Amino acid sequence: MPSRLTGSELALRVLEELYVTASRGSSRELVERIIQLKESILSERPASMATINMLKQVGLYILERGFSGVDSYILELKEKYTRALERAAEIASRRIVSGEVLLTNSNSLAVRKLLEHLAKQGKSIELYVTESRPGNEGLLVAEYAESLGFNVYLIVDSAARFFMKKVDKVVVGAEAVASNGAVVSKIGTSLVALVAKEARKRVFVVAPTVKFSPETFYGELLKLPEYDWELLVESDKAARIPENYRARVPIYDVTPPEYIDAIVTEHGLFAPQALPLVLSFIERSGLNLTVPLEDIVSKLRALLGGAQ
Amino acid sequence: MTTYPQRLLEIANGIRDMRIRGAGRIARAAAEALKIAALEYSGERDLVAFKKYMVSVGELLISTRPTAVSLPNAVVYVLSSLRGAQSFREAQERLVERAEKFISESEEATRRISQIGARRIRENSTILTHCHSSAAVGVIIEAYKQGRVVKVYSTETRPAYQGRITFAQLSKSGVPVIQIPDSAVRYVINEVDYVVVGADTVASNGAVVNKIGTSQVALAAKEARTRVYVAAESYKFSPLTLIGELVTIEFRSPEEVVPREWLEKHPRVKVLNPVFDVTPPEYIDAIITEHGVIPPQAAVLILIEKLGWALEVLHASEGRLDLNKIVAL
Repeated sequence: MPSRLTGSELALRVLEELYVTASRGSSRELVERIIQLKESILSERPASMATINMLKQVGLYILERGFSGVDSYILELKEKYTRALERAAEIASRRIVSGEVLLTNSNSLAVRKLLEHLAKQGKSIELYVTESRPGNEGLLVAEYAESLGFNVYLIVDSAARFFMKKVDKVVVGAEAVASNGAVVSKIGTSLVALVAKEARKRVFVVAPTVKFSPETFYGELLKLPEYDWELLVESDKAARIPENYRARVPIYDVTPPEYIDAIVTEHGLFAPQALPLVLSFIERSGLNLTVPLEDIVSKLRALLGGAQ
Repeated sequence: MTTYPQRLLEIANGIRDMRIRGAGRIARAAAEALKIAALEYSGERDLVAFKKYMVSVGELLISTRPTAVSLPNAVVYVLSSLRGAQSFREAQERLVERAEKFISESEEATRRISQIGARRIRENSTILTHCHSSAAVGVIIEAYKQGRVVKVYSTETRPAYQGRITFAQLSKSGVPVIQIPDSAVRYVINEVDYVVVGADTVASNGAVVNKIGTSQVALAAKEARTRVYVAAESYKFSPLTLIGELVTIEFRSPEEVVPREWLEKHPRVKVLNPVFDVTPPEYIDAIITEHGVIPPQAAVLILIEKLGWALEVLHASEGRLDLNKIVAL
C-alpha cells in the first residue's frame, strides 16, 4: 500500500531521517540509508519528485564535498523546502479574494499552507473537497480546513462537475511537474481540471520548484504507479467484494498544461509552460530576483549603516 | 384512514431505502404494487371509491423517490387504464392487465435495447460504463456474445459502490471487466472506444439525468473523442420536462459517504451527496431506446409518440401531475 503522506510531507520526512542518520556521524550508514530510500521511493512513489530531487542534492553534496558538513546541509535543504512551501502558499493566497469558493482534490501540504495563510489574512473562503478515492485523503483536508474555521463541503469525486458552477477557483498540489508544464498529481486532478476548464474556472497548482522534474527535459517519462483492487476495499466492506475482483487503481494522473492557469512556486506565479525557462533563468543568472525589493533595500541600508 | 396491504408498503419502503433500485426495477415494482393494491382492495366495491383509493396508492408510490421519472411514468401508465372503465369490476381487471402489460413490456424493452445497442459496437472494442444499469449491462453482454468486446472498465461508483454489481454481472457472463475508481475515468479514457451508460430520466431537450458522475464521464469522453451512448427505455423519458418542469436532483444522507462518527466529530464539514447529475445532450452521441437509436435532441419524438396521451392529460392538469385527472375522477 502506498503511504498517505503528501509529496511534501514525504520529502520533509526523508530529509529528517537523513539528518538524524547524518548527525550520528557514520558515512557508511548515511550512504546505505540513501540507497534504501532511493529503492523504496522509486518503487512506491516514483513520481515523488521533491523527494527524488532532495536525495539527488544530498548525494551530489557528498560527491563534491565529502561528508563533512552534510548534516547541516541536509538541515538547510529542509529549511529551504519549508520556506519555499510557505512562500509559494503565500503568493497563491494573494490570488484568493475573501468570499471566494475554492475546490481542491486530495490532500496537499502546499494547499494546506495556502489555507493557513488565508485564515491568517482573515479571508473568509468556502472549500469544496473531493473525498479523493482511493485513500480518501480529502477527509484530511476537510478536517484541516474545518480546524481553521472555514465552511467545508465534502463531496464524492464524481460530484466535481455537479458543484463546479458554484466554485470560483480550483487549487491543487503536485507530485511532480514535467518540462512541458504538465502536472502529476493525485488521481482525479486532471478530471477536476477538465471540469473546471469547461466551466471557465481558474485552476492553480501550488508547488515549490523542487517538484520540477529535470529529467523530463531530456525526454524521460514520469512513472505513475498502479495498484490492484485491494486499494478499493476497506476491511469493513470485505463482505461486498465481487468474486474474481480485478481493478486498475492508478494513484496519480497527468493534467495537461492547457488546463492549468498558473503554477505557483516560491519564485512566483507562472504559466505552466514557462516553468522550465524560469528555472533555467534563475539558475543561470545566479541572482535571486524573487527577493522582494523591500528586503534588498533594507539590506542595502544595513550595509550603509555598517560603513559609517 | 386508508389502510394499505403489507406487500404494497414493503415495496414503497424498498424503493425509498434503495433496496429496490435502478429505474427499470423501480418502475416494475411500482406497477406490481399497484396490481397488488387493486387485487387486495377491500373497500367499497364502487368505481369512484376504487379510483380514489388507487390514486392514493399512486401518490404514495410517487412520493418515495423524487428524481426517478420511471416511477411516475409507470404509475401514470397503469392508472390511466382506469379512464373509461364503466364498473368497479372492469376497472379492477383493466388495472391488473395494464400493470402486467407494463411489466412484460419493460422487460422486453431492455432486451430490445441490448440487441439494438450491440449493433453500435464495433469489433475489438473497449467499453467504459458508470454505475449499474441493466440496459447498459445488457448492451455490453450482448456485444460481448457477438465477439465485439475485448475489455470493459466499470467505475466503482461512490458512494454506494453500484459498480461492484456491474462488475459481478459482467464477470458472471464472462466479460473481461476491470473496476476503476471514479477518479480514474480520464486516466483510462484514451483506451476506451465507447462509453455506455443508463439513464434515470431523459428530459425533453435530450439532457440525461443519471447517477452522479455521468456528466463528467461524458465530458472526459468528449475530450478524448470517445463515443457516448445512453441506453434508456422509453418510460425514462419525462413528459413533465416538456412543459418546463425542472428535474429535482435528490440529495441523500451524508452517512452514505462517511461514517456517522466522523460526521459528529466534524460539525462544520457538510457532506453534500447528490445522487444524480445532468449530462447535456451535446455530450451524448445517441440514446438507444427499444424503438431505435435517436440523437438526444430528438427525445421529444419519443415523448410525443409514446407518451402523447400523458402530455394531453398533463396540459389539462396545468402542469401538475394530478393523478385524479389521469384516472378521470
